[in-house]
Amino acid sequence: MFRFVLVRLLQAIPVLLIVISITFMLVRAAPGGPFDSEKNAPPEVIQKLNERYHLNDSLITQLSDYISNALQGDLGPSFRYPGRSVTEIIFTGLPVTLELGLYATCFAIVIGLLTGLIASYRPNSWQDYSAMTFAMTGICLPSFVLGPLLILIFSIWLEWLPVSGWNQFNGDKILPSITLGAAYAAYISRLTRGGMLEILSQDFIRTARAKGLSETRVILKHGLKGGLLPVVTFLGPAFAGLLSGSFIIETIFQIPGIGRLYVQAAFNRDYTMIMGTTIFFATLIVVFNLISDIIAAMLNPRITYKGKN
Amino acid sequence: MATAAIDLKNIQQGRSLWQDAMSRLKQNHLAVFGLGVVIFLILIAIFADLIAPYSYEEQNLALGASPPSADHWLGTDTLGRDLFTRILYGSRISLMVGILATTVALTIGVTWGTISGYLGGRVDMVMMRIVDILYALPFTIFIILLMVVFGRNIYLLFFAIGAVEWLTMARIVRSQVMSIRNQEYIDAVISMGLPRWRIITRHVLPNILGPVIVYTTLTIPGVILLESFLSFLGLGIQPPMSSWGSLISNGVETMEEYPWLLIFPALTLSVTLFSLNFLGDGLRDAIDPRSAKD
Repeated sequence: MFRFVLVRLLQAIPVLLIVISITFMLVRAAPGGPFDSEKNAPPEVIQKLNERYHLNDSLITQLSDYISNALQGDLGPSFRYPGRSVTEIIFTGLPVTLELGLYATCFAIVIGLLTGLIASYRPNSWQDYSAMTFAMTGICLPSFVLGPLLILIFSIWLEWLPVSGWNQFNGDKILPSITLGAAYAAYISRLTRGGMLEILSQDFIRTARAKGLSETRVILKHGLKGGLLPVVTFLGPAFAGLLSGSFIIETIFQIPGIGRLYVQAAFNRDYTMIMGTTIFFATLIVVFNLISDIIAAMLNPRITYKGKN
Repeated sequence: MATAAIDLKNIQQGRSLWQDAMSRLKQNHLAVFGLGVVIFLILIAIFADLIAPYSYEEQNLALGASPPSADHWLGTDTLGRDLFTRILYGSRISLMVGILATTVALTIGVTWGTISGYLGGRVDMVMMRIVDILYALPFTIFIILLMVVFGRNIYLLFFAIGAVEWLTMARIVRSQVMSIRNQEYIDAVISMGLPRWRIITRHVLPNILGPVIVYTTLTIPGVILLESFLSFLGLGIQPPMSSWGSLISNGVETMEEYPWLLIFPALTLSVTLFSLNFLGDGLRDAIDPRSAKD
């Protein structure tokens, strides 16, 4: 087990180095320098600015400087918000995005597991069909369609919940969390159903039933452990999706998290900010994939620890 | 005696794998519905110029945003442009992205997967490690980065989306090619001295067509969704061109006063995604009946 974790950790390092290098090179390849918009700036000023941000060094030096700074948590100054560092800006947005992600995940897991279990308990019944129709809707309806529709119905027509905001009005966290979690609830529901159906047809479940255990005990104690495996492996990659989902949700509901910061940075061409957030996102995603791999390995003894997928 | 003769006749007629798949597909009503919608969409995208009641950019500022009426079936936007016409032209962009980006993904994925699976050994290990590493990258973010760095060029967008979506295709193709590679008839053609590329194109690729078709149909909605996502954020298609994503984004801005500007584009996109997913699922069940749902 220790070896497995170690191997996965070692694999994560080249991934992150590649992410940093690609991001860096892409941003450097962008036409125009970062100070081109400073109209009529005298050449000396530009020269000074370039020196200040070490833009005159060779690319390799700049890259290695950037990597070593990034490893120490310093992602450089923001080009658009002078005096503020990218790291600082990211950490003001992070708690908001994490909170949103947490609520969305809870919603997804609770709704997804419930509907999935109901569907798998009586396959091909009307409960199954309605749960799976719900799941298909959740998967096909993109968040940027679902979000506005929910606002239209619950905020504008019914006037039950606020249109936007985060921590400003009562109940303004409900719609964004549901919107972000819906697609994942749908996937979890389908995965739970599939996983449970497969497990419930196996011999040890028949043995458990033959022993006279109650149906609840058979399903919750014996079935769930194996049946949830696909769900656990899904959660890691799903987190990556939650992050890119936060771009949309935070833009629609005007939530001050890193997703919106990223989109704004993309519009403002705030290059250091874009680089910083990209690298930060990548790190988060790699870490969460790692965690979900480890949990999956702990749940299923049949996964070998040799780093095979 | 008579029954035996009839049986013989049936055997002679035979049914190919594809006829079998077609008949299974026809029994799946959702998939047939999906197929119908997709064909309909392709037709209206091709004949958009003939169908569109108004010109694409024709503004009618005096009219402004008007609800659906006999003149404007789906209403008009704040500049008085006909929404039906704009959705019609948006379908061109969406389908073009769907087809072009998927072609890019298909080409890279099948080539990569075939080489990796057929050669095996060290080459396979290196190629699949590369895929593993790429899998871990946050690609949506990279596409946004690309659009920011190189400007919002739609062909770049097509290519970037395609370049992201090939990974799963490569894995699927590789595992299929590997299992075919180990079959005896491949040993037979190798011993007959057929050149490698002939073996691959003549004896390997035709046999993995099923899974490739299925996965391709399932990639198209993903690609369309990604384009709409970017256009919704304002990082994809730029005005005056419109795609469903940018129409939805405009609709959101004014949904309080003019809800139809949100509802119709949203409906179009959702129905399209539903149909493509139904069709993909149906094809999967039809071509490979052994594969369970999820």
